Order: sequence, then structure tokens, then C-alpha cells
Amino acid sequence: MCDLMPASGALPGVGDCDIDAFLTKLRAETTALTWVGLCLAALLWLVTPVVTLGVPLPALLLGANARDRHILALTSTRIYLLRQAVFLLKMYASMCWGQHPSVRSHFNLAAYPVDPGTFRTT
Amino acid sequence: MKPNSHTAFQPRGSEVIVEADYVVVGSGAGGAAAAVTLARGGATVIVVEAGPWRDPHDYAHSTYGALRDMMDDWGATITRGPALWPVVQARVVGGTTVINSAICVRTPSDIFDEWQRNFGIGDGGGGQFAERLWRWQDQLETELCVAETGPEAMGRSNELALKGDAAAGYDGHVIRRYAKGCIGSGQCLQGCTEMKKQSTNLNYIPETLRRGGGILSCAAAERILFEGARAIGVTGHFNHPQTRARGAAFTARARRGVFVAASATWSPVLLRKSGLTHKAVGANFRAHPGTGVFGLYDEPVDMNRGVTQGWASTRFRKDGGLKLETLSIPMEMAISRLAGGGRVLMERIQQYRHIAMWVHALRARTAGRVDVSFTGRPVVRYGLDVEDMRRFRDGMLRVAQLHFAAGAREVVTGIHGLPYSLRPDQLDVIANAPLDPRSYVAILSHLFGGCVMGKDASVSVCDAEGRVHGRTGLYIADASMLPDNIGVNPQHTIMAMAMEVATGALK
Ligand SMILES: Cc1cc2nc3c(=O)[nH]c(=O)nc-3n(C[C@H](O)[C@H](O)[C@H](O)COP(=O)(O)OP(=O)(O)OC[C@H]3O[C@@H](n4cnc5c(N)ncnc54)[C@H](O)[C@@H]3O)c2cc1C
Ligand code: SF4
Repeated sequence: MCDLMPASGALPGVGDCDIDAFLTKLRAETTALTWVGLCLAALLWLVTPVVTLGVPLPALLLGANARDRHILALTSTRIYLLRQAVFLLKMYASMCWGQHPSVRSHFNLAAYPVDPGTFRTT
Repeated sequence: MKPNSHTAFQPRGSEVIVEADYVVVGSGAGGAAAAVTLARGGATVIVVEAGPWRDPHDYAHSTYGALRDMMDDWGATITRGPALWPVVQARVVGGTTVINSAICVRTPSDIFDEWQRNFGIGDGGGGQFAERLWRWQDQLETELCVAETGPEAMGRSNELALKGDAAAGYDGHVIRRYAKGCIGSGQCLQGCTEMKKQSTNLNYIPETLRRGGGILSCAAAERILFEGARAIGVTGHFNHPQTRARGAAFTARARRGVFVAASATWSPVLLRKSGLTHKAVGANFRAHPGTGVFGLYDEPVDMNRGVTQGWASTRFRKDGGLKLETLSIPMEMAISRLAGGGRVLMERIQQYRHIAMWVHALRARTAGRVDVSFTGRPVVRYGLDVEDMRRFRDGMLRVAQLHFAAGAREVVTGIHGLPYSLRPDQLDVIANAPLDPRSYVAILSHLFGGCVMGKDASVSVCDAEGRVHGRTGLYIADASMLPDNIGVNPQHTIMAMAMEVATGALK
């Protein structure tokens, strides 16, 4: 996710937007299917540099520039399921990043109040 | 059950048993309209709703919160077909009316002609059936405070669409919505905390309770109970909306009838699980698949300021099956629609304030099917044929043309394989884009069918009065009964049909 949305100019990257806390919360709250889907998508990102760059190394071992090229190539790959997997990662990375107060203020948007998560119990 | 009572999640160990004249499954557009009509007719009603009851102060603000708190299955239902497109629905008291844009469109006259011609329903656009539905729609418009969005709440994206429309001649209009006094906070998809949008959790459900009814929330109906051919109630379990823990069992008994209004995906599932295995159950699922085209403008648009949807055109409805609309989605969602990743994506995001998103919804001819998965959830089998894809692509072209008429510098289509952005002289690139559905990011938000009405019991599930063929005391009253898609926003039609069905049942 950090490769998908790195810091750029005045914009923070998703790694600067409490991504660890976001993922911990997501794991606790979301459905097993969504979480498994995200883990699979991350695994695909890890093992596919051989497909995108022809480099038989896991993505984690690539240099910063190669990783950037890898993630860009994945988002536009011809393999539909791979593209969809990265789309899922991007959707959740965007959620974490886009709800962060520093990002919202950058785009002239008010910070989100806390989501109450409450409901009528009686 | 006591009058005016609400029973939310109950833990395991107890069993909740309630009884009323009618049990209505689902509290969305169809269920709430049916329930209040039955209650106004003097009947006692119990509404059984799978989702929790959230008031406006409980609504989420972020997209994350909306997926978690409002959406069915975290919005993860997708079509099974050539492309995996999300099927969006809410799971909360008020159903999808809580998260929709409250656009109110009367059932077009030609739909009644088609229903008569193709399904033996009613007597055409000039007939009494149409007259009755339009009368219900008059009533709905008064009760739900339908109004045009005022200029002060429009926001720049909608203003630009009006400008483009004036130049391109799309015969568009400012949208009428069940949201009088809308202040244009652009939060419709997360639920209106301003209490302007008239979702059914704010009006028809409370009125049903005041008139002696009750509601079980967090209570998913799993089976309809029968005595012979007669429906006598429903049974299911409570589910905790946060932990998803399975709670107590419940039984809601109906003295006079059971209304199924769980939506176009869930109503067929409930019928199937209840032993209605006729091939028409789940068949004829239809939709208005849609997608957005971003316009990039020199000026800041700030599309999240102003009403979520303020402008629409039906000019291409009859010929191309297209409805065009503005739609502002939260920034988090818009960004995930921008192509690319890494540094390239971040550069594109810099332009966010200059983006306006407008969409088309296609009256697709393709029919799909709803089956039941091994976990008991709906499986939506759906994929557009080539002819529909051609019209789908055409819709994107028309939206792009509108952007350019409004002064956009470039458009961003999101079509796989095309350049990221296109200038006005590159429109032919869209016109020749691939027709493979997998090249497009689309969603299904207007759903129809699955328990369709019709005269012929061999191909339909219920008749025009919602009565399920071959059963007594069992009615369908939601989007699933509509035999075809209608090419306009469906809530008004669904609610009017539900009121008509409920009135018939009371006779
Ligand atoms: C994002 C979005 C925007 C939209 N905007 C508009 C608009 O502006 N105008 C318009 O006309 N239409 C709009 N629509 C479509 C419109 O909201 C729906 O067509 C309409 O709400 C469908 O009504 P329904 O009663 O069939 O289903 P719903 O309103 O979805 O209600 C079904 C209810 O049944 C409940 N349920 C499901 N299964 C069970 C079960 N087993 N037991 C108990 N309860 C169950 C669900 O939780 C839900 O509350 C929009 C839809 C979406 C997704
Ligand atoms: S735009 Fe805002 S104020 Fe208007 S109906 Fe939607 S959420 Fe409510």
C-alpha cells in the first residue's frame, strides 16, 4: 500500500497516514473475505515482479525505483484478476489516505468527524 | 409484541416470538412503503430488517465508516460474469434509501406500455393501472417533500453540467429529490446527517410503529414459514452488526400475510431458501450498470461541495437507453478510480480539486440471474452482451462530450488500455474503445427483478398485485418484482408499486 501511494511533494504518503492503525482496525472489523482478498492481493504484489519487470525477485527486495515501476505496471496489467487485486489494495489505501486530516486539509476539505459506529439498541 | 416497539440484537439463549396481521421483510424503499400502507389501512405490522437501526447521529462520515456501518457485506458483493462489478446495496433500517441520492423520477408512461405488451401487466400508459401508480407517486412526493435542489446548494460540478448542457443541447434539468432544504453537503452516499434526505427510517418506519406496529432490527429472515400453501410468518436469527455474532432465533408470525421486500438480490434468495424452487425465482435480474467520466477543469471544481447529484438528462433514454447525471463521490472513492499507482498516481491526485465526475446509467437489455451461494448469500450472475457494451461505451462518450461542452481541458475515462486522459480532439479514442466489460470499472446500483411479476405463472413469480403464484398470503413488494429495468431512477416506482400491492392485500 505504501508503494501505491508514496509521499509526493507536499502530499503525505499512505505510510504517513497511520496505515498500521488503519490495517489493525480493518482486520478487526471487516469480513474474513475482504481481509483474505487484501492479503492475497498483497501476496500477488510480492511475487509478480517477474511478470511486470522480468525480475525473479520478491517485490520487497527491489530498489525504490523498481518497486515504483512494478506497482505502476501492476495497475495496468493485461491480466484482469491481477488488476482487480491491485484495485482492491488501492481502494483500501485510498480510504486510509483520503480520510486522514492532513490530506483532507490539503484538498480544502473539512476533517471527518469520528464515525460513531452506534445504532439503536432498544 | 407491544405496539410501537423495537427489538434490536438479542443474544443467544432466548427466542423472540412476535405476531401481527402482516410481517414485512425489509425496511427499504419497498418494505417501508408497504408497511406504512398496511398500517394506515388499520392492520398491525411487524417489520423484520437484517440491518441495525441507525439514526442520523449514528451515520458514518468516511467511506470506510459507510462501508462498515451501512453497506451489505462491506460493499463486497460483485457480479459473477466476465467482469467483477460491485453490486451496491445498504443493510440498515431504511435500506438503500439511507445511502442513495434521493432522486425522484415518476414512472415513464412508456414503461406501462411495455409492461402491458411484454408481461400482461396493467393496461398501458393511458390506463387505470398507470393512473393509480402515478397517484401514489403524487402522494409520495407530498409526503417525502420532493423538491428541486436550490441554486445555493448546487456546487460547481452541477453548475458546470448545466453550462455544458446549455451548450451541448442535452435537454437536462435540475434533479428533483426527496430532500427539501438540502444544503448540499455532498454526503448522500454516507447518509444525510443533516436530516434533509427523506430516507424511510425517518418517516414510514416510525409511522408504522406509531400506528401499532413493531420492528425487529439486526434480524435477518432466513425462511418463510408455510401452513400448506399459506405463508404464516418468517423465522431467522439476530446478527450483531459489529461483531457479526449470531444471536437469538426469532419467529415473526403473520395472521394475514407475509410481504417480501428484501431487495432484488435478497428477495429471490429468501424465496429459494424457503423452498420456492421454481426456475423463475432469481431469473430476469436486471440493472442499470453505470460508470463515471472525470472532467479536468482549469478552475477548482471541489466536487464534494454541493449536492451529491444535482443535474440529469434523459434525452438519450429512449434511443440509447442512457441516463446521464452528475455524481460526486467521496474523495477516497474518486482517487481509487484514477488509473496508475506510485509516483504517477500521486501526481494525478494533485489535480483532485479540478475534477468533476459525471456518470451514465445504462438501461441494459442483458438479463442476469440471482442464485444462492453455499453460505446462503446472493450470487449475482451478470455480464453485458456486445450490444449493451456498445451503448455503455456510447454513454461514456456522451458524458465526455458534455464535459468538453462545459469547458473541460481533458477527460479521464478509466478505460483499461486507453491513454490516462484525452483532449477534445481525441474523442474517437473513446468511440473505438474495446468492448470487453473487463476494460471498464462500473457499478450496479439500480437493481431489478429476480421475483418478477407477470401474468404467465410459468415465467414469473408473482402477479401484478404482488401475490406469489401458487401460494396464498405471500406478496412481493420491492425492486425484485419489477419485470424489467426502467431507464430512470427506480425508488419512486418501487415505492408506488409496494403501496399498490399493500392496498390490494388489505381488500
Ligand atoms: C448508491 C445508490 C444511489 C442510489 N440513488 C438513487 C436515487 O437517487 N434515486 C432512486 O430512485 N434510486 C436510487 N438508488 C436505487 C434505490 O435506492 C433502490 O432501487 C431502492 O432502494 C430499492 O428498494 P428495495 O426495497 O428493493 O431494496 P432496499 O432499499 O435495498 O431495501 C431492502 C432491505 O431489505 C433488507 N434485507 C435484505 N435481506 C433481508 C433479510 N433476509 N431479512 C430481513 N431484511 C433483509 C436490507 O437490509 C434492506 O434494508 C440508488 C442506489 C444506490 C446503491
Ligand atoms: S447533499 Fe447533503 S444535505 Fe443534501 S440530501 Fe445529500 S447529505 Fe443531505
